[in-house]
Formats: sequence, structure tokens, C-alpha cells
Amino acid sequence: MLKYVLRKLVALIPKLLAISLILFVMMDLLPGDPLTRAMNPDTYGQLTEELKEQYREAMGLNKPLPVRYLNWLGNILKGDFGWSTSTKQNIGNMLAGRFPYTVELSLMSVVIGSFLGILFGYIASIFKNTIIDYGLTLCSVIGVSVPNFFFGIVFLLAFAVKLKWLPTGGRMEVGGATDFFHRFKFMILPIMTQSIGLIAALMRYTRSTMLDVLNRDYIKTARSKGLREATVNFKHGFRNAMIPVMTIVCMRIPMIVGGSVVVESVFNYPGTGQMSLTALTAGDIPVVMVTTMVSAAFTLAASTIVDIVTAMLDPRIRME
Amino acid sequence: MAEQDYILKVNDLKTYFKVGKKTVRAVNGVTFDVKRGKTLCIVGESGCGKSVSAHSVMQLLPVNGKIVDGSVELMTKDPETGEMRTIRLDQLPRSGKEMRQIRGKEIAMIFQDPMSSLNPVYTVGSQIMENLRNHEKISRKEGREKIIKLLAELGIPNPEIRYDQYPHEFSGGMKQRIMIAIAMICNPTMLIADEPTTALDVTIQAQILDLIRKMQREHGTSVILITHNMGIVAEIADEVAVMYMGRVVEFGTLKQIFTNPLHPYTKALMRSVPVLGMKKDEELATIEGSTPDASTVFNGCEFADRCEFATPECSKRFPVDTVMEDGHRVRCLLFEEGHPNAES
Repeated sequence: MLKYVLRKLVALIPKLLAISLILFVMMDLLPGDPLTRAMNPDTYGQLTEELKEQYREAMGLNKPLPVRYLNWLGNILKGDFGWSTSTKQNIGNMLAGRFPYTVELSLMSVVIGSFLGILFGYIASIFKNTIIDYGLTLCSVIGVSVPNFFFGIVFLLAFAVKLKWLPTGGRMEVGGATDFFHRFKFMILPIMTQSIGLIAALMRYTRSTMLDVLNRDYIKTARSKGLREATVNFKHGFRNAMIPVMTIVCMRIPMIVGGSVVVESVFNYPGTGQMSLTALTAGDIPVVMVTTMVSAAFTLAASTIVDIVTAMLDPRIRME
Repeated sequence: MAEQDYILKVNDLKTYFKVGKKTVRAVNGVTFDVKRGKTLCIVGESGCGKSVSAHSVMQLLPVNGKIVDGSVELMTKDPETGEMRTIRLDQLPRSGKEMRQIRGKEIAMIFQDPMSSLNPVYTVGSQIMENLRNHEKISRKEGREKIIKLLAELGIPNPEIRYDQYPHEFSGGMKQRIMIAIAMICNPTMLIADEPTTALDVTIQAQILDLIRKMQREHGTSVILITHNMGIVAEIADEVAVMYMGRVVEFGTLKQIFTNPLHPYTKALMRSVPVLGMKKDEELATIEGSTPDASTVFNGCEFADRCEFATPECSKRFPVDTVMEDGHRVRCLLFEEGHPNAES
């Protein structure tokens, strides 16, 4: 098992390098270069060709692509993410100021969403073709098909504007206490919005894999041993149904760090999702590259976690 | 014959399935009994209701299946007084405590496809242990020893190591041995084997049948073996029930069925079995026509359309069971009292 995990981790390195190379080359192919993007177009237009050339030389832009790529990669590995062209801030600092809050919010959404989604799916499968199942299925169809910004806006109108129970947005009271309990009320609506899609999707998936598993022959074997119905469903059904479901859960891991662009925008929650969106609209290539790289790294990590978790659940994969 | 000699009596059992708006009469009045320590083979073609009969006994039917009529009686020893008593299995709630105490303990079952009958995520040892500890108060350590002993008896090499392995590390024949171990670990009074060798290759089939026989001999278990293979019947059965379209058409001892088959269906079935020494160009007999759709409603004998001895009366009224002097039972108009051919 340990060997299996190590091998999966080592395999991550070449994948990450490939992604970084593709990302760098694609960004390089975009019109303009870091100099034109860093400057106000008017200022840039007034520069003499000679001056532009000096700037480019100083920024290392005249070096061939492989050299520039290796420099960029080296800096990132050293922890130097470069400078934002739009805010003129150090990208590392920008991330540090937002990252923890996004992780806090998304982690809770994913945990709550997974728990409730799997629980409801399990309940629906046990009470198959009853009013409970139909009710839950109807809710999940709505949850899957309505985009989550809509729920966000509805929640805002209902709980923040009409009932005034919760704040409309932001991350903490201006000048107020900053501890977790004071910040939590700012997170309730974003968590609700963010987890709704996951709950709905996981519920449907858990229900259908559970129903599939409960039809297998080994369930009949378990029943023929005279086990209690709850034991049959949980020990023999649920454990097997979780193997594919865990894949969906783990694939939400990148969202924990990347943040949900939609939810962070609707609730004006300053996290990494919002940062990516602002950088994209401002054409802030260095920031976009870093946030994309971070997302890519965590997506890869997630797929590795999927492999490890399924191997833990399924002995057939563990052995190979 | 004394009552105690019977382990199981199934009387006029009817199990229907709801499929959409249709009702499928999978088992439509089945009567058979199993004697202590003996083997009953239920034979018949696919879809004749032999599996459903067995599943009805265990109450392991899918949710849309229901026992609508008839009775299933199990003779069992009262755990407290030690006296023999009769339990009406068909009247117990399907997943209630009493039924669960019978499943796996009094009646155990092995299934057709050993490949999919074991849970892939648990070791085989723990799956046997599960049945053992569900019915007996025994420590894990003692249980493990008992299981390993049984695995060795079942001809599994290195049972100590095999105990902790997962089903995917076993071959089909080995998996079926594990299924037998799960079934036999609690010393059941009856074992139901639902086509236990159909999914296995021929050399393994014989080994598995031998094991079932060995277990029966050593533990005194009664066996219901469901099969469509006449060869297996000839080899293992004490008594045979021939089923067609949800009914037992003929019931008798192995000798009665094989040397003196009465029902036209049984006769046809016998003729369609290849025999050693048959000429190369000799054609194997087949039964004309095909099995009717399961939801067909009949007004008379279900076999009438395919029967070579059918009279016009056959499709007008249902035949009733006729019991011969030697206990041989057949459900056919030809043998009913008053029929001109009755003594033929």
C-alpha cells in the first residue's frame, strides 16, 4: 500500500512539469508581451523604440523561450511567484491574504456537501420508490439543474435583504472581531450556495450506485446469512457504492483552493476565486498563470487522492 | 412414514411477481417435500420457476415478488426445549428476526455464480466469519480455527493464508468452495444449491458436486439442488421434482423418474439428453415449440401445446396431481382416474 502511494506521488512530478510547460507556452503565444500588459497603453505608446528595447532587455524578455520558461519555473519553485501587473503587488502576498479564507469556506462546503449528499442519496436508495425517495429526487433534480448563482441571489434576497438575519457579503465586520465565530455568519450563505450543487449531484449519484450495488449477487449472499437489513445495506451495500462516489467527492478538492468564482463574486467574498476572476478581466497574466498552476496542481493531487482512496476501499486495485 | 422424516414441506406454493401492470405467476402451485439427510433435485428448463421456488423458501425474493398462497413448513428443533416443531416459513415477516435466525443457520444457500456472489471488498475469511458469528456465540480466534478447518475439509490448499485473501484472488471453483464454506459453517439442517455448477467448467463441476455430497454425508444435511442438467440429477438425487411453467409436473424417487417417467414432459426431457454410445448421425430429440411467455394465462395444462399425447380436453381444464401406488406423483390428465389411458 505504501509503495502504491509513493509510486502515485512520484508520477505527479512529470505531469506537473508538462502542465507548467504547456501553460507557459500558451501564455507566450498570446498577443503582446509582459511589457505591453504591465503598462498603461498610452504610456507604452509614448515610449521610444530604444527605451522599449531597454525595458525588454532588463525584464529578460529577449531571451529565448526555454530560458524564460526555466527562469519562471525556478522562481516559482523558490516561492517567488512574481508581481501582479494590475495591482503591482507581490503575487505570493496576494495569495497569502486570500488563500486561508477560501480554504476555510470551500472546505466546509465540500465537507458539508459531501456528507449531506451521500446521506440523502443513501436514504433515497433505502426508501426507493416511496414518497421520501420521490421528494429527495425532485429536490436533487432542481439542485442539479438550477445554476448556483441563482440560489445565491435568492438566499441573499431572502436571508440578508428581507429577513436581515445574515450579512449580504464580505468576510468580516469592518473594525469588528476577526475570530472564527464572528466570521462564521458571513460564511453561512456562501456555504449553502456552494454546497447545494454538490449535495444534489452526490445524492443522485449515491442513490443510483447504491441501487446498482443492492442488485448484486453478493447482497443476496449477505441476506442469505440472516444479517439484519441495515447491516446488509450498510456493510455490504454502502461500502461498495462508495468506491465510485469517492471519485466525485475527491474531484471537488481543487475547488477548496481555487475557490468558487461564482459564489465569491455573488457574496463579494475576497478569496482566490475572486482574485482569479479580477486577474482574468484585467489581463493580469502573471496572476492568471499562478492561479492556474495552483488549480492544476491541486487537480492532479485530487486525482492521486482518488486513486489512493479507491485503493483503500477496493482490494482489487490495491493489489494490482 | 413418520412426520419427523421430513425437513421441509412445500404445499401448493404460489409466488407471483408484479412486473409493471402484469402479474407473472412464476411459481403457481408447487408441492414437494425434502426428507431428512436426502437430496431433492428440482429440474426444469430456464424460467420454469425452480429458482423462485427455492428463493421463496428462504424468503429471498425481490421486492416485487410475493408468496400469495400455499405453505412452507420447516421441521426444526426448538432451541430451548429440544423438541421438534414446525415453523410456517411463509408466514414469517421477510426480514424479521425469526426468518433471519433461520437463514444461514437452519437453511443455507449457495448460488449460481460464485464470481459475483462474494463481496469483493472483504476477505473470504471475514465473509465466512460473518455468518458464523451471526448465529453462534464464538470468539474470533475459535471461529477462525473452525473456519480454517472447514476450508481444509473443502480442499482449499493453505487455508491459513487463503483465509485473509480477497475473492478476486480465487478461481471460480475455489470461490464456490468458499460459498459452500459460508453455507456449511453453521451446520445447517438444509442446504439449497441453486445451479451451483452452471457457471463452472466441467472438471470443476464434478469436484463441487462431490463436495456437496461429502458435506451432506458428514453433516447430515438435507439438500435441495436446482439444476437443468439431467446428468447431475442422475448422479446426486434421491428424489426428483420436474417443473414446468411454475408447477411440479412430476415428483418421484430418482429410480421412478429415470426408469419409469410418466409425464410426457419428463419423457421428452429424458429423450433430449445425449447418451454415451449414441450414433454420430443420430439426431437428439428436441421438445417441439418453445416455452410460453411467463405471463401467459392458461385454461388447461400448460404443456398441452407442446405435448405429443395431448387430447382436446387437455387445454380445457387443469390436471390434478395423481399419486401412484408407489408414491410416484404426476400431474397429467392421462393418469387421472377415469381417463381411458389411466392404466397405460
